[in-house]
Amino acid sequence: MTPAQKEKVSGTFSRNGPSGAAQKRCLTPFPGRYVGTGNGPALQVIDIRHPSYAALIEPDTAFWALVRRDKLAEAALGGELVEVYRKKAARFAEEMRTLRFGLTPSAVYFNPTERCNLNCTYCYIPEGMRRTGRHMSRPKLLSALEILKRYFSPPGTDRRLVAGEAPTTTMLRTVPDPGVRASGAARRRKPAPPPKPQIIFHGAEPLLNREAVFAGIEQYAGDFRFGIQTNATLLDDSALAFLREHDVSVGISLDAPTAAVADRTRSNWEGRGVHRQVLDAMDRLRGYPGWAVLATISTANLRHLGSLVEFLHAREVPTCLLNILRTTLARSRQVKPADADAARCFLAALERTHDLYRRTGRKLVVGNFANILLAILAPTARRLMCDISPCGGGRCFFAVTPSGDLFPCSEFIGLGEFCGGNLFRDPIPAVLESPAFRLVTGRRIEQIEPCRHCAIRHFCGAPCPAEAHQLHGSMHATGAFCEFYEEQVRYAFRLIADGRAGDFLWDGWDEGLDDVLDFSM
Amino acid sequence: MAVKNPPKKAKSVVACRKSCKAKGTGLSHYILMDKKAKK
Repeated sequence: MTPAQKEKVSGTFSRNGPSGAAQKRCLTPFPGRYVGTGNGPALQVIDIRHPSYAALIEPDTAFWALVRRDKLAEAALGGELVEVYRKKAARFAEEMRTLRFGLTPSAVYFNPTERCNLNCTYCYIPEGMRRTGRHMSRPKLLSALEILKRYFSPPGTDRRLVAGEAPTTTMLRTVPDPGVRASGAARRRKPAPPPKPQIIFHGAEPLLNREAVFAGIEQYAGDFRFGIQTNATLLDDSALAFLREHDVSVGISLDAPTAAVADRTRSNWEGRGVHRQVLDAMDRLRGYPGWAVLATISTANLRHLGSLVEFLHAREVPTCLLNILRTTLARSRQVKPADADAARCFLAALERTHDLYRRTGRKLVVGNFANILLAILAPTARRLMCDISPCGGGRCFFAVTPSGDLFPCSEFIGLGEFCGGNLFRDPIPAVLESPAFRLVTGRRIEQIEPCRHCAIRHFCGAPCPAEAHQLHGSMHATGAFCEFYEEQVRYAFRLIADGRAGDFLWDGWDEGLDDVLDFSM
Repeated sequence: MAVKNPPKKAKSVVACRKSCKAKGTGLSHYILMDKKAKK
């Protein structure tokens, strides 16, 4: 309780203040009488570059409203909207607290090898590792999965991970604290069984160590949901048949529809492109529900994003990611686009997906942008945890290397000082609390300039800590892109204003979600 | 099949929010599939 709240509860405020229902409202996080001063709601106005609407945002609770420009002063200074917000503010604040600080790991990015058969310009794994690094042996990989299985086992079972570690009562899945109250509808629904934790084989190129990876999937199929992110060059018929049979999600990497563009950044050690092989794999994946294409945006493909989404749509790709490259390692900075160029081309590609949807009735969802829409429309429903602060690294997921070293995220694997311990030697809960992990999980947007003043700080999250650390020598700095994220959020609000947001999300995206605010006037 | 958005009434103020139990687990390199598509 803030000093101001205590003051009001103790009656000091009651001499001149409200009573009854109005007094009850004072127990919200914003007991101040006026917007914008003292303990009043700190609403910020942002221009979303829409002809009719601007946005009012209370950043800490991620509350927003779209307000007609000619009604902006009236809405921002008080009245019905502010009163509605005051009633919801405590709940929204609790949602954000849970999302930012109340989650625990439910996914592991598992690198079964350091090696890769490609030498992509923007890779965050150092070249030496990729060229001559180690595989994790099959017995080691199975042992690692056994340790992870025990770690993720529900409380009450034997969760001693390594010799000498006492069981704890720490919640081990990504779940909210029990203190977060469910809505009425949520309480009435039959509780769903807890989802299995996820293991994503990641790289480097995981299929270089195929025999061990497939043995792990086979043995632990009942314990984890498995996924694999691959460059697709080794995705032959037998590998695909295995992955389909075991319901493994498959992410493949492709940056452009033509070899001439894609091969600029993605080629093997001899400099030969692999575009044809990726297209062959895509042909064989067609119709499989659990696959996606990941493209990395750089100067090499920036002006081809529109043709890329057309190509992916024609190939019936259900979901893609158009991720801006990370400039964690210096080599990737050679192909870093300017923010404004990246934003312009990215938003044009999104519009292109919408044209295709309107023409055909079939969506190509751009998952990373869909996540920003979700962050606005339903913050707790977001699926990706890069664009929130603290990011998901080290708290929602962590990464395992072939030697068993643990890092907050794959992005840190080339940065030895961020190793928090070893899966085979150290208890996972202790690693999660290690100084190395704390550096990442303790990176809060309130400590970063200019983010701490930014209205959209909880729709962006100032990614990525690894990139910020390498670029600026500090965790308390932005990553390589700022305006790129600003423009995405503005565009998302314009879509909401125009009633188009649902067209950019998966069908049924709001099934199982509760309406906690639905206000218009 | 073409998809049309319903006609919009020009409201003065629009605010909405949905909620569920938080499950955020992914990073930007990978995304597990749409829950409907993933059988």
